[in-house]
Amino acid sequence: MAIGSFLILFILFFFSSLNPILSLYEDQVGLVDWHQQYLGKVKQAVFHTHKTGRKRVVVSTEENVVALLDLRQGEIFWRHVLGSNDVIDGIDIALGKYVITLSSGGSILRAWNLPDGQMVWESSLRGPKHSKSLLLVPTNLKIEKDNIVIIFSNGRLNAVSCIDGEVLWEKDFEGESLEVQQVIQPPGSNLIYVVGFASSSLFEMYQINALNGELLKHESAAFSGGFLGEVSPVFSETVVALDSTGLILLTVSFQNGMISFQQTPISNLVKDSFGPAKIIPSSVTGIFAIKMNAVTIVIRVTDENKLEVVEKTNHETSISDALPISEGQQAFALVQRAGPEIHLRVKLAHNWDDNLLKESVKMDQHRGLVHKIYINNYIRADKSYGFRALIVMEDHSLLLLQQGEIVWSREDGLASIIDVTTSELPVERDGVSVAKVEHNLFEWLKGHMLKLKGTLMLASPQDIAAIQSMRLKNSEKSKMTRDHNGFRKLLIVLTRAGKLFALHTGDGHIVWSYLLQSLQKSKVCQHPIGLNLYKWQVPHHHAMDENPSVLVIGKCGPSSDAPGALSFVDTYTGKELSSLSLVHSVALVIPLPYTDSTEQRLHLLIDADKHAHLYPKTPEAISIFEREFSNIYWYSVEDDNGIIKGHALRGKCTGEVADEVCFDTRELWSIVFPSESEKIIATVTRKLNEVVHTQAKVIADQEVMYKYISRNLLFVATVALKGSGEIGSVTPEESWLVAYLIDTVTGRILHRVTHHGSQGPVHAVFSENWVVYHYFNLKAHRYEMSVIEIYDQSRADNKDVWKLVLGKHNLTSPISLYSRPDVITKSQSYFFTHSVKTIAVTSTTKGITSKQLLIGTIGDQVLALEKRFLDPRRTVNPTQAEKEEGIIPLTDSLPIIPQSYVTHALRVEGLRGIITVPAKLESTTLVFAHGVDLFFTQLAPSRTYDSLTDDFNYALLLITIVALMAAIFLTWTLSERKELQENWR
Amino acid sequence: MAFSCKNSSKFNGFSGCIKMVMVGTSAIMMQRRTLAMEASLCVKKSKKKGADSVTRPNSQISAAMAAVTPLLLLLLLSSAPSFSSGSRNAYNINGRVKIPQGLGTKGYALPGRMSNVKVLLNGGQNITFLRPDGYFSFHNIPAGTHLIEVSAIGYFFSPVRVDVSARNPGKVQAALTENRKGLSELVLEPLREEQYYEIREPFSIMSLLKSPMGLMVGFMLAVAFLMPKLVENMDPEEMRRAQEEMRSQGVPSLSSLLPGGARN
Repeated sequence: MAIGSFLILFILFFFSSLNPILSLYEDQVGLVDWHQQYLGKVKQAVFHTHKTGRKRVVVSTEENVVALLDLRQGEIFWRHVLGSNDVIDGIDIALGKYVITLSSGGSILRAWNLPDGQMVWESSLRGPKHSKSLLLVPTNLKIEKDNIVIIFSNGRLNAVSCIDGEVLWEKDFEGESLEVQQVIQPPGSNLIYVVGFASSSLFEMYQINALNGELLKHESAAFSGGFLGEVSPVFSETVVALDSTGLILLTVSFQNGMISFQQTPISNLVKDSFGPAKIIPSSVTGIFAIKMNAVTIVIRVTDENKLEVVEKTNHETSISDALPISEGQQAFALVQRAGPEIHLRVKLAHNWDDNLLKESVKMDQHRGLVHKIYINNYIRADKSYGFRALIVMEDHSLLLLQQGEIVWSREDGLASIIDVTTSELPVERDGVSVAKVEHNLFEWLKGHMLKLKGTLMLASPQDIAAIQSMRLKNSEKSKMTRDHNGFRKLLIVLTRAGKLFALHTGDGHIVWSYLLQSLQKSKVCQHPIGLNLYKWQVPHHHAMDENPSVLVIGKCGPSSDAPGALSFVDTYTGKELSSLSLVHSVALVIPLPYTDSTEQRLHLLIDADKHAHLYPKTPEAISIFEREFSNIYWYSVEDDNGIIKGHALRGKCTGEVADEVCFDTRELWSIVFPSESEKIIATVTRKLNEVVHTQAKVIADQEVMYKYISRNLLFVATVALKGSGEIGSVTPEESWLVAYLIDTVTGRILHRVTHHGSQGPVHAVFSENWVVYHYFNLKAHRYEMSVIEIYDQSRADNKDVWKLVLGKHNLTSPISLYSRPDVITKSQSYFFTHSVKTIAVTSTTKGITSKQLLIGTIGDQVLALEKRFLDPRRTVNPTQAEKEEGIIPLTDSLPIIPQSYVTHALRVEGLRGIITVPAKLESTTLVFAHGVDLFFTQLAPSRTYDSLTDDFNYALLLITIVALMAAIFLTWTLSERKELQENWR
Repeated sequence: MAFSCKNSSKFNGFSGCIKMVMVGTSAIMMQRRTLAMEASLCVKKSKKKGADSVTRPNSQISAAMAAVTPLLLLLLLSSAPSFSSGSRNAYNINGRVKIPQGLGTKGYALPGRMSNVKVLLNGGQNITFLRPDGYFSFHNIPAGTHLIEVSAIGYFFSPVRVDVSARNPGKVQAALTENRKGLSELVLEPLREEQYYEIREPFSIMSLLKSPMGLMVGFMLAVAFLMPKLVENMDPEEMRRAQEEMRSQGVPSLSSLLPGGARN
């Protein structure tokens, strides 16, 4: 009996350790998930370094982030992500305690408390017309003891109180064609100069009293040559401009209200002129720079407004703003890239010949050129000036240099991810193991004793901390080899800067990064854009020795017919294998389901002229492709015209582009939506690599329903033309939303449903035989989510076993594209509370595990919602059988359970996309959410039914077994003794 | 990893940085109070000047703020006008987010959390932040029906339907969309607190006993101590018969299974 109970006990123990974990306990944060915070490419930085207190820097970025960073470590003190259309125009620090931001084209001015980032005030500025936005925070300009901020935006000059954001005075500049270029406030005076161009050949100067906005003087002078581009202020009453040809430099001085021009042809300054120049504005007194093609020329303006070239260089040069270091002295920095090093020079504005500082810093080649530099000074122990420089590199990273060293660096390129794919890690072989074994038995035992204490909740706070750090430091998860469960992978991400990163899923560290040359600005390609990432080679089976590689697709410029660029990168080493500059454009990329003998996947690139190009360009690939020639179909969506077209291949290219791998295409079908009533706003298909476990669905009363599973289904949502705007712009009567299910091979519309009184934006996800979409219901003024499930009726009669046995089924009957598929759809709608940014669905290796929807909400959180809640078979009162099947009673809205937030108490600021990747373990899926922040976690939509959780306490199990064994032997000896006594009696 | 710290391995850098953030936030808590003081003073000042382009809390509020700054978020009872018309077709929506103190004090009460609250109009078309006193405003909003959402970690806010009418500006028409409750003024309060983590049950004897393990042990103990008692009360004759019966049926006894058990 003891043995029996022991077994039962063991089994019970085993199951009790698998107790349902609905979500996360607070101490499990960081075990399988990681969260990284980024900023984006810095476009302005302002230092805040007082003699006492923390050294900090305020930055604004291209991702509309304003943040305060610690200058010692580069950590974020606070950060705010503004709205996507709330672009930051300028930042500054006022009164030493407020961060002032000007955003939304100069119409919103906000002040943030410097230490904690709390918004202090917000002002809305309006003006008569659109214009350049300029923010100026004069240090010692006061109106009634009130420090002011000067803003020029939307054709109006405003003086705003620093303390509460009140507009103190305003002055309109309504001149028809006046384009204000600069607002200059000479230090120490109460004057403001507003300079600009009017009707392309007039130079206008306004002198304004800063205390009350009164116009003191207005002068204008004509210059027949016209003006081009920006102006650079060189002195407080002198600016430099270019004439309309870009060949003559104009020094415009407006001292005492008299405007005088002085022309200097660039050819007089430099002998070999390289065509039109461009002014690089700088705030350094007496110094400015121009750029002609790749040549940068730094020019000094002497007191008599004479220009002289002080430097001419072929290197890309960045110049910092002026930094006042002492009475009347200004320092500025120049930085250049030369090979593996960057050269930093700090000079005084009036003394070009001497360097205050000259340093060379070794810099990773994959950071590219220096794009921006900001400098700050400190006083060394020997009372001399030291300088620190904050630099922004081509790959959008941010670095702090001090004393010739990189103090810290931030990979802020990761804030703007364009596309993500995954790659397996190398297989663990003998000798390449990097596992760290526990030092000795004692350590191991100690660790397990601690864990045991934790389980029995006897641990002291120190013990808990020790356990937590032990769990987090688990070296297993960041190993560089493939694991049994497939949790360890590489996330390959392509950023907007054209840099490729490989992140380890274990802890998110960067394994390698590579700046793609094909996506860098060059003479051939001025504005390269990264488009997509594809798995090029995924070795398994017979090509195990090859390293996997990815295909990066980019194009040159935003136009649709810009030539494409391909790049192939090895995902183990992070080296570029090869790159191709294409002659054709890339409109669409179709990864084909065929691979060649080296496991290279065939890709079909469709260009803007509707030619198809096959890659790789090998004879083998062509022969595989020709075999499958007639089975390749695709569709294209023209949202502007409201047309969806289906295409197939026709034959080899004819004409001048004749090429072995070029094919002509033909149009098969087209669906034209009535342009006056419907506008395409969303199209979604199934993921190409999705696995469906079973086609049949057994429902409550032993009935079988067959899912209509087709890879060629397309979900299209259209809205009424009026309803394509924002919420609140239409009434429910004049807006509707139509959802279609279209077969992309035949062009047949399988299902169409209209939601009256609804409008976009529509976010949808398609998986197996269902599609879920999110839209706005104007009548209820709430968001709604609908589900459509599509079932195959033609096979519904096959459920009789006898028919199958007797061969009376229709499984072998031919399927024709011309016959209408016999499908039925079921659908249902529910209210959903939040706005949605993106929706994804979990995916697992075999597709057995039930699905969860991953909803990226407007609050930048990711909510996991079980698909069961979006089941069209839900009814208000489900029958007993339906309840047993797991059908939830129908409610009008979808539940939001806080514990099912995948991101728990974190935010993935600026959320843009959610990617799910199956792990090898069927129950588990890997989730990667990216935006300005990155977040990764493992999810088990139906709990981990196929493995023990990390919490499983092996020590407790061992101890229980030992205790039981001891108990067995004890009772055995006792019974022996008793039996002996019995026998003696 | 977000950054690599100088002279430290990546791992150390990471944990170190987390600590730094913690220190930073606790410092912020202290500074918030002083900030509130300043803010209240500004309001007074602006009143004196009579400038009124932006709607602000009235001076009664600022007096309260100056008096009881730490509780400032809670004591504000007077309402602010919710709309002010701007130019011809653009209106301002002003409102307030109020987080009652009863909520959020337990669990992970993050200091400075008011600064992490975002208010979103029409699904992110406009995003604004809260002033220290919880007020927010959207500028240049066209007339129509709009949706305001509040995103605050730790709280569940219902979206609010707001009607901005061109005919009678200044009229408040707001309703929570979750429960269709009308709001007389645009003061948004969380419907409930959100707890993102499961709570670990504290250790207790009862929970241990109730667990399968505990039950099993209890059962075993009961068998071990009660069975002999039962056996004692049995008639020795009957017991012997039962034992013999068991042996004849060949039920494996413990002693025969264990090594050395075969001796008997």
